[in-house]
Amino acid sequence: MNWLYSKWWKWLSVVLLTYVVAGSFFVKLGPGITSVTPVAMYTDTVTTFQITCYHSHFNSDKAGKVQMWFKNQSKYYAPLSFKVTGNETAEASFAVSSLQQDSFKPASIDVVINDELDGTFALRDAITLVKATAVDSSSTGLLTPTEPEVKHNKHQLVCYPYREILYETIRNTFFHVPMWFAMTMLLFASLIASISFLINPQTKYDTVAHQAVVVALLFGVCGYLTGLIWSKYTWYIGVSWGDVIRKLLLEDIKMAAALVAMFFYFAYLIIHSSIEDKTKRAKVAAVYNVFAFVIFILCVFVLPRLTDSMHPGNGGNPAFSKYDLDSTLRMFFYPAVIGWILLGFWILSVCIRLQFIQQKRES
Amino acid sequence: MKKILNLLLLTLLSLTTFAQGESGTNDFFKSNLKIYVVVAVLTIILSCIFIFLFFIERRLKKLEEK
Repeated sequence: MNWLYSKWWKWLSVVLLTYVVAGSFFVKLGPGITSVTPVAMYTDTVTTFQITCYHSHFNSDKAGKVQMWFKNQSKYYAPLSFKVTGNETAEASFAVSSLQQDSFKPASIDVVINDELDGTFALRDAITLVKATAVDSSSTGLLTPTEPEVKHNKHQLVCYPYREILYETIRNTFFHVPMWFAMTMLLFASLIASISFLINPQTKYDTVAHQAVVVALLFGVCGYLTGLIWSKYTWYIGVSWGDVIRKLLLEDIKMAAALVAMFFYFAYLIIHSSIEDKTKRAKVAAVYNVFAFVIFILCVFVLPRLTDSMHPGNGGNPAFSKYDLDSTLRMFFYPAVIGWILLGFWILSVCIRLQFIQQKRES
Repeated sequence: MKKILNLLLLTLLSLTTFAQGESGTNDFFKSNLKIYVVVAVLTIILSCIFIFLFFIERRLKKLEEK
């Protein structure tokens, strides 16, 4: 077991995690629309909207022509007037005739902006159309949908995707998600050690398996707590803490299954500490560990696929499709996964070496 | 050792004060595009790892004293 004593992979985890933490601090969130005021408009009235954006570059030389549309269902409408007032602010006016109001169903309008540097970004349901009770037959200015022509939809910047509800918390992808990857890898290492023990009964394999479960549970607890606070402010916004925990356990299959899987490993620790005889303990724990890993795989990778979950990529689809992770997120996500896994094994190696010294002293 | 653990637990207590502010309309965690949720997540991970390190150190100390 030379890997316990070699240093290069520990340094690799330091380098990778430094890069990831720095990246998570310094890379900005991508272009998006933070607000459109007023939020409501009346039919047959020209309304001027103030649009405030985040991290957009309307005045930049590379931005080219800034275009803007009002969107209802799948139809795009050009504004009556559109004026860029700053790098992140713009002004647009729009009117809907009462003759046409019934075609706006549902009565919410999206605001869509495009320029060559920032790509296309939008605010869904930004404006509500208040319909007139009596149709004014003399009203003019009927709208015809336009076909938007853009150079590219994808932004040309290094930035994280601006998602409604998530906003800056998208950075948690580098911290919450790798916790589970690290936990899985540590449990896998524990399984390998347990199988090695069953093939070749040496105490050192039992030590590795036991310590790997302890460190894996540390990462599991981290993953659980971080998931708890992340969901409180995104999925379950405005829900009290008690209800958040209840919803997570009852409504999100992935959370419930992960908790069940973790209880199986807590049971492993109890089994390991409750048998006095060392060889018997190691044998029972090793056999139990193989079963626990199978249950863990079923709970974490199979069960959540069978039904819907709030987690992205569940309910039949593999996680991390091309829609979930863009190129900038990938740039930091994969190093984060490797970095956290290596950090987990680093902590594991310290625990194991400590245990070895203890066993040497005892014998 | 006990002193350090107590100190750590007391520092963690300060986290509960964040939660107390949330009942108001200006939720601290929702301000600035929810960036403080990321801060909270990092704090949780770091404090979990630090608490674990303290436990390892306690085991080490017992070995040294033998």
